[in-house]
Amino acid sequence: MEATMKEQLSALKEQALAELAAVDSLEALKNLRVKYLGKKGPMTEILRGMGKLSAEERPKIGQIVNEIKSVLENEINARTKVLEKKALSDKLANEKVDITLPGRQLKAGHLHPVTLTLREIKKIFMRMGFDVCDGPEIEDVYHNFTALNLPPDHPALDMQDSFYITENYLLRTQTSGVQARTLESMEPNTPIRMICPGTVYRCDYDATHSPMFHQVEGLVVDKNISLADLKGTLELFCKQMFGADVKVRLRPSYFPFTEPSVEVDVSCPICQGRGGCHVCKDSGWLEILGAGVVHPNVLRMSGYDPDKMTGFAFGLGVERIAMLKYGIDDLRLFFENDQRFIGQFK
Amino acid sequence: MLASLEWLKQYVDINISTAELCDKITRVGLEVDTVEQLGKGLEGVVTGKVMEISRHPNSDHLWVCMMDYGQGGDPVQILTGAQNVRQFDIVPVATVGAVLPPSGSNPEGMKLKKAKMRGLDSFGMLCSADELGIDSKLLLPEQRNGIFILPPDTPIGVDIKTVLGLDDTVIDIDLTSNRADCFSILGLAREISAITGCPLKMPAMEVAEAAGGKASDYVHIKIDAPELCSRFSTRVLKDIKIAPSPEWMQNRLRACGVRPISNVVDVTNYVMLELGQPMHAYDADKVAGRTLIVRRAEEGEKLITLDDKERILNSSMITIGDAEKAAGLGGVMGGLLTEVTGATKNVILEAASFHGPSIRRTSRALGLRSEASGRFERGVDTMLTHNALNRAAHLLEQMGACETFRGIVEDYPEPVKPAVITTTPEKINGCIGCVISREEIVAILQKLGFGVEEQGEELVITAPSWRRDIECDADISEEVARMHGYDYIESHQPELKITQGSQSVLDDVKDAVQDYMAAAGLNEMMTYSFIKATAFDKMLLPADDSRRSCIELLNPITDAFSVMRTTMIPSALQTASFNLRNHNDSVALFEVGRIFLPKALPLTEDAEERPMLTAVISGRREPLNWCAAKENVDFYDMKGLVEGLLAALQVQDYTLARSAASYLHPGKSCDIVLNGQVIGSFGEVHPTAQENFELDQTTYVLEMAVEPLVASAAAVPKYQYLPKYPAMSRDIAVVVPLEVSNEEIEAVIRANAGELLRTVRVFDIYTGKQVAAGCKSMAFNLTYQAADRTLTDAEVDASMKQVIAQVAEAYKAKLRA
Repeated sequence: MEATMKEQLSALKEQALAELAAVDSLEALKNLRVKYLGKKGPMTEILRGMGKLSAEERPKIGQIVNEIKSVLENEINARTKVLEKKALSDKLANEKVDITLPGRQLKAGHLHPVTLTLREIKKIFMRMGFDVCDGPEIEDVYHNFTALNLPPDHPALDMQDSFYITENYLLRTQTSGVQARTLESMEPNTPIRMICPGTVYRCDYDATHSPMFHQVEGLVVDKNISLADLKGTLELFCKQMFGADVKVRLRPSYFPFTEPSVEVDVSCPICQGRGGCHVCKDSGWLEILGAGVVHPNVLRMSGYDPDKMTGFAFGLGVERIAMLKYGIDDLRLFFENDQRFIGQFK
Repeated sequence: MLASLEWLKQYVDINISTAELCDKITRVGLEVDTVEQLGKGLEGVVTGKVMEISRHPNSDHLWVCMMDYGQGGDPVQILTGAQNVRQFDIVPVATVGAVLPPSGSNPEGMKLKKAKMRGLDSFGMLCSADELGIDSKLLLPEQRNGIFILPPDTPIGVDIKTVLGLDDTVIDIDLTSNRADCFSILGLAREISAITGCPLKMPAMEVAEAAGGKASDYVHIKIDAPELCSRFSTRVLKDIKIAPSPEWMQNRLRACGVRPISNVVDVTNYVMLELGQPMHAYDADKVAGRTLIVRRAEEGEKLITLDDKERILNSSMITIGDAEKAAGLGGVMGGLLTEVTGATKNVILEAASFHGPSIRRTSRALGLRSEASGRFERGVDTMLTHNALNRAAHLLEQMGACETFRGIVEDYPEPVKPAVITTTPEKINGCIGCVISREEIVAILQKLGFGVEEQGEELVITAPSWRRDIECDADISEEVARMHGYDYIESHQPELKITQGSQSVLDDVKDAVQDYMAAAGLNEMMTYSFIKATAFDKMLLPADDSRRSCIELLNPITDAFSVMRTTMIPSALQTASFNLRNHNDSVALFEVGRIFLPKALPLTEDAEERPMLTAVISGRREPLNWCAAKENVDFYDMKGLVEGLLAALQVQDYTLARSAASYLHPGKSCDIVLNGQVIGSFGEVHPTAQENFELDQTTYVLEMAVEPLVASAAAVPKYQYLPKYPAMSRDIAVVVPLEVSNEEIEAVIRANAGELLRTVRVFDIYTGKQVAAGCKSMAFNLTYQAADRTLTDAEVDASMKQVIAQVAEAYKAKLRA
């Protein structure tokens, strides 16, 4: 009796495992579980026959049954996991989207290249301890010219043909006027370290001249400030603006409000002086700003004592630097404001 | 300033390459702009003589010339279509194989080949000046057309470049306005001599004075306005023979951009270019009383200048008068009546020092800028007048053009004193920031012609007469620095106290506004501060609108940029219009800029410059995409932009009121009111304004002052505890007449919902079949929350009941499910 049941159970186990191996859906697996482990299944049937077994045989058979149940249970669970995984991957496989379609993007706006450049310049100088000052764009003749050692009828006035409003007011031709205003506003002989970014205006309009453009004026006044300090400060600026390898060169020039006056060239960041370059025209150098030691007359006119305090000043063209930085070749683009232009800058 | 290299070499040896020379003079402050090799691309053209000339048998315009250009053997046959060639003329001959530079008639240049014209061979070409690459502006009228006929004494078979001075190099120097002393060949040579150490050679200035008589018997000179003229010197020339000047002089004048005219005029120009002293020649017999008086013009005095124009003078102008009339405008232009002509017998040559600013004003007022006025404006060395007169007389004598009376006649009321500056090497080194030895400083200054006297520590420095720009010790420092070389100045960082650089709060807010607008998808524009005066009409501004009181420019470039803007709206709308017409179907732009508001007109005190934000949007809300709604922006996009910006800047106590702005749609526009002040307006552009600005689609625009946003922008937000208990949410929908505003309904809801109400949000608005005509359905979401407990349904239901009842009561509103 016992032997027969053992055989039956063994056969049942084999059969169940064989069927399990063939199952390929979760549905079939569920049926299989009911069929073999359910209340109406053959296992139950066999267990029902246990009543006829002796008291010694029962636990043995019971143990076998439990073992088979446990084996089947584990096998079915394992199989379930496999099939669930397969079902999920089948499902995912059917949920493909066209990944080549464009995504939903936030509409990004762009800052103007002049603003981007101006901010960078401001940042560099603010890190060096320069304050940012502001001044009027409609300036009086005194601050735009006279206080800068440019008396009326000075031939240098030709360099910057001005838009006049009245005999005494004009659109500032340079941010340098803020130099005089800052000096005046201070207690005489107070140290100054400032920049003034701003809009300036000159009567000129072609591919290389705009009637309105931007400058950043810089002024340092303190004890023992020299041309060498100017060179060192501008080198620091140029390295941060154009890269650590950039070289700076001073050339004598003339501005009525500085003496000595210099033009500052940087080594061409496009060709690194190797030549074959349309930007620097093979010279290897690009003129980027004018500067100099503040003229004693300028200090004196604003109440400073040039024997005690000296200083340097510089003025750089923002569009010029933006053109170099981004490779823009026509100044007029800056003020046409075509969105296809502005949208290129980050 | 143009400088001929050959001319320079006459006064200083140049033993370095042209490139090196240009680099060196640039590095001492004379910036070389361009270097032009004259006669570039011109090869194989020689002088030749027309031995025979006859008509071409088969042409009514061609000529057959038999040419001798030193080739040896028989003359060579060359055909020409020019009509000005005569037998025995000497002309430029381009032989077979010759190369001609690009010119007006051959834009690409050309290489000469043997040609056949109407059956006859031509072995070359006779050349016009243009074909040789000479600018026709620099030629006499008779030289401009046809073949360039050379003087009869020109040797034949010689390279045309040698004959016409085209084997020269011309350097164009961008001269700064302080270096008047280098505005001449000799001045430049002096600077080169200081750089290279090659000695300066002076031009020949001996005058034979063979006329037999004293100049002072023939001319009387007087300066009546010493403030306008410090020195007026003359020489008198007898038996002048007016003729063309020699070829070498014409060549040099042309190289420096001056057109040759006749010997006397050419010599005055030549001496000006060479020494820097402008000169003038008068027909001595037309100078009444043989007297020249330097005076201020009388108001309204008339003078016909050399260009045959009548000029009305005023008392600020320097006039050279004779005993009867005005004979010229000193330093600007001579008078026609005393002009040197072919009939002139005797000449008074003038070399004077005029007051620069006065010359500048006069030449500007009359629109007469010349090589001479340019030099006087910068300042001419007072010591130059004698050298100039002597050099000019010398040159004319050498040409056999005249004899010279004895002596110079001049008035020089107060001798000009040289600048004397006392400084020390320490001071010079302190300014430059390096250590240059006392010896080097002295050597540099002496090389440049400065007198240096060492008095103990101090240097007493006397500036040379030609350096009128030297005034103070800073000028001396610059001279030393530039000659020492800026490359040899070690850079140094200033030793200053550590400070924190900062910008104003207003600048911070401007940055924040720019950042917000860019993040919101708008591109930043940068527009001109000046606009067209008619922009106010386009904006439909009423006649009495204060924005029409704008600041006008006296000298605008065009009327499109004639007044300073009092509003940013025209800038924004023009830029939008430009973009819509230039391949952009949507526009989203902003700018933080200034408007200019006069306190009084004409301007007597500083104008207010008010920072403003403007924004303009039009077209699609989102870029065209498969997954985006294809909708255009509307009023609520602009409103959302304003609300979002104000929220970002923590501006809370503002209200929006219907706007009456002329340029906005009256039904779709708002004023932004903060602290009782209208700080801006936005909305749909009025259809008429839209048309005026050539906008072809509905456009929305904003203008708002930036300063009122500063106060709140800097506030630090205070943290509020997050609620511990859940919120409950309820929706209601009400049907109300169309004219009822959201604000009104929301107010009723808030007034009746009790203190547990947290938010009211409208989430749907519907008009259409489901609701009666003239009505709309509005759906609201209400949330309730308590800080200390979880709410019960009963509490919220009770509140909702009250809300529903009151909304229904207030608007006869129907509730929808």
